[in-house]
Amino acid sequence: MTIRPWSRIAATGSLVAGTILLLSGFASEASAQGAGQKQITGVVSDESGTDPLPGATVQTLPAGYATLTDTAGRFILEVPDTVRALVISFVGYENDTIPLSAAGGRIRLQPVKALKEVTVESRKKSTEISLLSTAKVEKIGTAELMKAACCNLSESFETTPSVDVGFTDAVSGYKQIQMLGLAGTYTAFTRENIPDIRGLAAITGLTFTPGAWVESMQLSKGAGSVVNGYEGTAGQINVEWRKPFEEKEPVLYLNGYQNSQGRTEGNLVLNHRFNNKLSTGLLLHGRSDWARVDQNKDGFLDQPLGRTLAGSNRWFFFHPSGWEVQGGIKGIVLDNTGGQKGYREGMEQVAGSYWGYRQQVKRIEGWAKIGKVFPRKVWKSMGLQLSGTYHDQESRYGSRSYDADQRSFYANYIYQSIIGNTSHQIKGGASFMADAYRERFTGMPYRRTEYVPGVFAEYSYNYLDRFNVVAGLRADYHNLFGGFVTPRLHLRYAPAGQTVFRASAGRAQRTANVFAENTGFLASNRSFAIQGSESGLPYGLKPEVAWNMGVNFTQKFMLNYRDGSFSADYYYTDFTNQVVVDMEKPGEVRFYNLNGKSYAHSFQAQLDYEPVRKLDVRMAYRFYDVRNTYDGVLRSRPLVAAHRAFLNLAYATRNDWKFDYTVQWTGSKRLPQRFSDHHVLLESGDSPSFVQMNAQISKSWKDGDVEVYLGGENLTGYMQHDLITGASNPFGHNFDGSLIWGPGMGRNIYIGFRYKLK
Amino acid sequence: MKRITAIIALLLCSLGFASAQDKKDIVTEKIKVSGTCGQCKKRIEDAAYISGVKRAEWDKNTKELTITYRPSKTSLKQIEEHIAQAGHDAGEVRAPEKSYQELPECCAYKEEHAHDH
Repeated sequence: MTIRPWSRIAATGSLVAGTILLLSGFASEASAQGAGQKQITGVVSDESGTDPLPGATVQTLPAGYATLTDTAGRFILEVPDTVRALVISFVGYENDTIPLSAAGGRIRLQPVKALKEVTVESRKKSTEISLLSTAKVEKIGTAELMKAACCNLSESFETTPSVDVGFTDAVSGYKQIQMLGLAGTYTAFTRENIPDIRGLAAITGLTFTPGAWVESMQLSKGAGSVVNGYEGTAGQINVEWRKPFEEKEPVLYLNGYQNSQGRTEGNLVLNHRFNNKLSTGLLLHGRSDWARVDQNKDGFLDQPLGRTLAGSNRWFFFHPSGWEVQGGIKGIVLDNTGGQKGYREGMEQVAGSYWGYRQQVKRIEGWAKIGKVFPRKVWKSMGLQLSGTYHDQESRYGSRSYDADQRSFYANYIYQSIIGNTSHQIKGGASFMADAYRERFTGMPYRRTEYVPGVFAEYSYNYLDRFNVVAGLRADYHNLFGGFVTPRLHLRYAPAGQTVFRASAGRAQRTANVFAENTGFLASNRSFAIQGSESGLPYGLKPEVAWNMGVNFTQKFMLNYRDGSFSADYYYTDFTNQVVVDMEKPGEVRFYNLNGKSYAHSFQAQLDYEPVRKLDVRMAYRFYDVRNTYDGVLRSRPLVAAHRAFLNLAYATRNDWKFDYTVQWTGSKRLPQRFSDHHVLLESGDSPSFVQMNAQISKSWKDGDVEVYLGGENLTGYMQHDLITGASNPFGHNFDGSLIWGPGMGRNIYIGFRYKLK
Repeated sequence: MKRITAIIALLLCSLGFASAQDKKDIVTEKIKVSGTCGQCKKRIEDAAYISGVKRAEWDKNTKELTITYRPSKTSLKQIEEHIAQAGHDAGEVRAPEKSYQELPECCAYKEEHAHDH
């Protein structure tokens, strides 16, 4: 399964086995054979003594003789008298040393608390696509996150071909992602499998998770598991935070960052393990933008000034009986001011004055997970996830304001077991989601409360490593939209060890938050028109419903004794209803229910190869065909690049220098009909294509405990030059900072350090 | 589209070049190399990659180093000696005491945490 009920299980696949099973070695001295030599026989098995461990390594101490156990866990080893002890090791268990004098007796070893992580992963790929999971999951590890040293979730995808990142508008500095050609709001974000960025945080939320807090991310396109809900049209991105109970986590992790555009960041992560059961982590983040930067000289700050503070504290408790409890809280305070360079807080927003932008966000989240694994039946587990969120934001864009708050509650209970044997796994459970929104858009109030109880079941069939099926079904009842059913299916077939074919299909539904998801249009004088007529529904609009189907293929290979992999995927998303965001007419943005077709085709091919040791090359190409019906006319969606090509080179030296270089080419995007700076109506046309380059050099010492880095983003300095139309008169009717197709900021040089105290 | 065609052409060229190399002068062997952890793996493999070595992969659990090299350019003995110089007993070659002493604590394979029972 792609997404498992507990973060801890998802984080280290074999942790469960490691937590529960004990290793018990039975070694007996059978007979002495000749002078100075003796034969040792024994059986290596798990704690219960019934399941042998085949392939365990048995070595002598001092080293020199070794063997592996057979399928029944047995071994025979002939050793000289000088041998004092045997060392038995097996993946997922702690090594143990048995003195020869004690061999033959029953030896109880220390239970393994967690799968010991090696402190230094020697040559682990920074992004990996597993061959074994039923759904294709790209695991983006810490190494990949460090390739782009900055700074939060929205920026951490810049070296990932599957995700496009771009500014939402020319003033707020927010970046939005695109997956399968669809806006980031169609991607379900989870923090350790609890829904995270939803509702009002659709745009702002990506900046609320600092990169330094993240341990890894799992990205999967297309339909996800029904266990995590009915949302996620384009895919899922799950974020795993640093976990204080993991051996590899330092006691203290400190990161500092400074760039040439006046952005300063600091991150501090403190971990404490009280004992094998209890641990806690404290995560802090501060960001300040203090320089008035206007690289394109249009009179507007390229990014707002301001500060963001984020903090979190979380606790983990694991009991040997299989109970685990974890919980945490997180708080965010953000205050940004931007707009025209001359704008100062409190200035009146009328023609002749400076146009200003101000946003304040306060958000608090709390969550808990309670789980139980059954020590004697590792396949059986149950868990309860709970979370609550309060989000409050106030924003001002020129003379328009948008203030809103959201209160959310989420509960999800999951039970997992098998039918007969582990080839047939079943998950079932129930969930409840509640969201209460209060919005005020230029004085107009909008209120709604959504309650969604639901039940789900998911069946997995595994035929060895060759063939897997995951079939899920959920039924939810929405207090405003009524009942609906969400089926989802995943297939995986591996005809050979290094070749995997996968397919997925499923339905997804969500409620559009027309204001929060489209705040970018507030950086313009476009009027907002909601053309919804359904009474009692949010904004008078129907829910967004889409079906997604996808196939993909992954082939790992060895060429000239070097490893590589090739993968290709194709996804098709078809909307049965969509809240269409129509910016085809200059001076306005309209929202209405889809009347006609809306679909997205997405194709991507990627090649990873290591032509020379420690030089990783990644090449990718992706194609989108995204079309919407706007007022009865089927047109390609504006501001979506049909073609994108990507090359990443990463080289590491033996003495811990790392070099990383990314170049990407983004094809042209369709621009809708718009006004020019001189109030002339421009017909729909194409933006230019452009190339962007990023590079980073880092050097680490003391096995990676100290690291410094120096990097550059957008090295060619290419910028969209008509970033804001009518910038000279922001209260005029042609003012528009929402048509962003290219880089909004020029060359950026940054330095930073990371320090770990073990 | 031109750029894409160029990228694909480049890709095919590199594949063709790689597979055209002489395959006769190549040997794969397995030797035992002492070590304990992920840090050892990095050191062992780094040491094993001397001129003439195509691939070296050390398995932490079996303590086996799978090594592919060109006999015309190097020999197993040379590789083993190079690894031993880095502090790890390799095949028939013992690590010099001085190199072994320089290993970090976690790689001290000779005194593997022999706790009593």
